[in-house]
Amino acid sequence: MSLLRACKQASSLTRQNIATSSIYAARFVATDAAPPAEVKTESTSSEIVAPAQPPRDVMVADVISGAPSELRHRAVRIYQPTRNTMQSGPGKGERWRIDWDTLQGGGRWENPLMGWASSADYMQGTKITFKSKEDAIHFAEKQGWDYFVQQSTVKRIPPKNYAENYVYKPNQLRIHRTK
Amino acid sequence: MLRLVSTVSRPTSTGLLGKVVASSHTQNCTRRPFSSTSPKQADITLTVDGKEVTVPQGSALIQACEAAGSTIPRFCYHDRLAIAGNCRMCLVEVERSPKPVASCAMPAMPGSKVWTNTPLVHEAREGVMEFLLANHPLDCPICDQGGECDLQDQSMRYGSDRTRFHEITGKRAVENKDLGPLVKTSMNRCIQCTRCVRFANEVAGVEELGTTGRGNDMQIGMYVEKTMNSELSGNIVDLCPVGALTSKPYAYHARPWELKNTESVDVLDAVGSNIRVDSRGVQVMRIQPRTNDDVNEEWISDKTRYAYDGLKFQRLTTPLIKQGDRFVAASWEDALNAIATGLAASGAKDNEIQAIAGHLADTESLVALKDLVNKLGSDNLALDQVNGTSSPVHGIDIRSNYLFNSTIPGVEQADAILLVGTNPRHEAAVLNSRIRKSWLHTSLEVGLIGERVDTAYGYEYLGADAKALTDFVSGKGEFAKKFAAAKRPLIIVGSSLAEHPDGQGVYGQLAKFVEANKSKLVTPEWNGFSVLQRAASRSAAYDIGFTPSKKASETKPKFIYLLNADEVDPKSIPENAFVVYQGHHGDIGAQLADVCLPGAAYTEKSVTWVNTEGRAQLGRTAVPPPGAARDDWKVIRALSEIVGSPLPYDDVLTLRDRMWDISPSLVRYDITESTSTDVALVGLKTLSAKANAKVSGEKFLKPITNFYQTDVISRASVTMADCTKAFVKNEKEEFSNLGKGPQAAFA
Ligand code: SF4
Ligand code: FES
Repeated sequence: MSLLRACKQASSLTRQNIATSSIYAARFVATDAAPPAEVKTESTSSEIVAPAQPPRDVMVADVISGAPSELRHRAVRIYQPTRNTMQSGPGKGERWRIDWDTLQGGGRWENPLMGWASSADYMQGTKITFKSKEDAIHFAEKQGWDYFVQQSTVKRIPPKNYAENYVYKPNQLRIHRTK
Repeated sequence: MLRLVSTVSRPTSTGLLGKVVASSHTQNCTRRPFSSTSPKQADITLTVDGKEVTVPQGSALIQACEAAGSTIPRFCYHDRLAIAGNCRMCLVEVERSPKPVASCAMPAMPGSKVWTNTPLVHEAREGVMEFLLANHPLDCPICDQGGECDLQDQSMRYGSDRTRFHEITGKRAVENKDLGPLVKTSMNRCIQCTRCVRFANEVAGVEELGTTGRGNDMQIGMYVEKTMNSELSGNIVDLCPVGALTSKPYAYHARPWELKNTESVDVLDAVGSNIRVDSRGVQVMRIQPRTNDDVNEEWISDKTRYAYDGLKFQRLTTPLIKQGDRFVAASWEDALNAIATGLAASGAKDNEIQAIAGHLADTESLVALKDLVNKLGSDNLALDQVNGTSSPVHGIDIRSNYLFNSTIPGVEQADAILLVGTNPRHEAAVLNSRIRKSWLHTSLEVGLIGERVDTAYGYEYLGADAKALTDFVSGKGEFAKKFAAAKRPLIIVGSSLAEHPDGQGVYGQLAKFVEANKSKLVTPEWNGFSVLQRAASRSAAYDIGFTPSKKASETKPKFIYLLNADEVDPKSIPENAFVVYQGHHGDIGAQLADVCLPGAAYTEKSVTWVNTEGRAQLGRTAVPPPGAARDDWKVIRALSEIVGSPLPYDDVLTLRDRMWDISPSLVRYDITESTSTDVALVGLKTLSAKANAKVSGEKFLKPITNFYQTDVISRASVTMADCTKAFVKNEKEEFSNLGKGPQAAFA
């Protein structure tokens, strides 16, 4: 218990450091998944610097997780993968994912002997799936990762009706259905 | 039961009733019967699998089931196509219905109880599956759809575990069709869902794709031997639930489970279609659309989808320095030093240092380059287009003067569209499909001033030059009257108009017209004056002010920095200027250069792109750039150090900070920020001040003559060259030998 508390304190210290040393991190990387509407209200206040986030009590795991410290320098992306357009099944469509950007240069190369793809980046094959955006953000914060949240898109499918095929349209006929 | 049946037909009958009532008022009779903005209909509540769910009236039952979280297997139903109801895979059990019902063809009815997971349903689906498989070849191991095939997946779930197929005559055999260099057919596998036909009909506007024969003999094809000439044809590969239509360039290249998916943004036109880049190792294997209803719905153009093989050819992989008449590979250090020396030796100072930004320049590198050039004391920032070396006629002070203000989804709300000097089919193919959609489903009227083109929807041709516009503005002609009567009129101005000698006058007249009709064209809800850009970098360049000052545009440059600029006219480059080219392909720009710096292509960098609506989107790195190529903004940053005026940002976050300082909209991703009515009117005022500029009466020509080859990537692509051959030059052959043999015998 005491160890945990120590970790928590340590983390809150580092967190403050990060916040003061790099304001931009708060602004762009660690964008708090605000919906577009909120972003707009932010802009009307003509504030260039985004309002400071209230400190959150996050248990920081990376102090004891033993993960390499390089991970702290790579922003992750949190997003909702879209459905594969080749298939109609919507399964797994509501999940959120964390993954890492492909590194320049050292990220991947072709093995000269076999032509297989090799990589020096142990995170490039990793993706983590979450039930919700909040879970993903919480996890990234816990690990001390900078993150970028990509908003999910709004689906707009109008009500559809078989009878629409036969609805009378005034004026000139605009389509000759070949089906 | 009877009562239930009568409710079935209710949505249609109310629709009809509505129309009958409306038609007595002639004014309202052309109101759109159904569209995204039609008045909200009542909601209805029904029970699916014991769960209550509320959906808008007129929804299909399959939509209600989906809303309740029960997935319905389907082959023919597609969210963005008309309902066909011919595969019968979506059978569900409805209370008090004697038979299972096809949930896609059945409207959701209030109070009905639906089950999607009962033994009856399973048995029914198993039966359907058995019939489908009776004529479907068992060639999954050699089928390109394997691994992402709806039939494969659903037969695992609903199929029977043993066969009863003992026909001695074997399975149905169907001749393959030749649809051109993009779509490969294997018609034995077709399950006749007709998704491809409906897509071609409704969305792409290819009415020749259709069905012949019936029952077991039904076939999908173009009726006569001919290719499918559409800039959206690649989408039928996605739509086909089985492997009957697959992608020709991708055939046998990879399996879906080997691919790494990266969600990114397309840059081959200014729409900013959302794409998913599928890569294996260091190669892009294919490009798929990503659904985004605000931009590209579910479609992408063939150029977006198939130009990726251009990323493999003609690449600049190492810095090059010109010695005599040949390029010599060099290290980054040498190349950057050579530029510093070249800059000093050319004696260029102030405005004699010119930067030209091309079509594929990303926002980060544009900002870095502008900062660098400004730091060197120059204002000479040109764009890679006709008249790019002088400041654009529409100005860049007001955003609404050069953006697509109505937004892309907004196009569907327009009830009259005037296209001026543009062919959206080639400049923004996905946007064009929205216009077609709206044209089909509403009483939208379209008028065109410019070169006559096939737009995939009917239009009224008003003329080819500024005179036609003058007539329109003064209210002459049928279309002008219709336009005046429209509730949400929309003017789409092509980007080529700014390059036209009459640009000033045309913009002025249009602005004057918009001002005169501002009660309809510029309101808080609707801005009907939209400029359609065609280059991915253009909106961003205007946003950050990448245009020359008046003084600078008159200066003859001695040092020219080409950033992805490949449309430049070699004659416009002064003889003894020192030219640097930064980009990813060895094309015209690189030929002109004294030093070439290899940059990253759009699949290789994570940068910001601003589309024609002003929507900033963040692309993503899918594969590393080849050889010694580097992120473009980093190259400029490194160069700035060597030429002695270092830029103040060391990482991309500080650079985005700088972008925020220039314009916050550049880093507010995925949203469009509309210009307020007042500001938009101020912008129009600056334009209309020049309404009386002299016009030469020269014809407006379409800027894109070959849709398939518009930029370095598509020019380097073999697939796009094939398309050019097949669809632009209409040379048949070589894609298959079908045409050589005797005419296919259709059973
Ligand atoms: S080719 Fe594919 S999309 Fe077209 S009808 Fe056959 S199965 Fe359906
Ligand atoms: S999905 Fe309903 S019949 Fe095909």
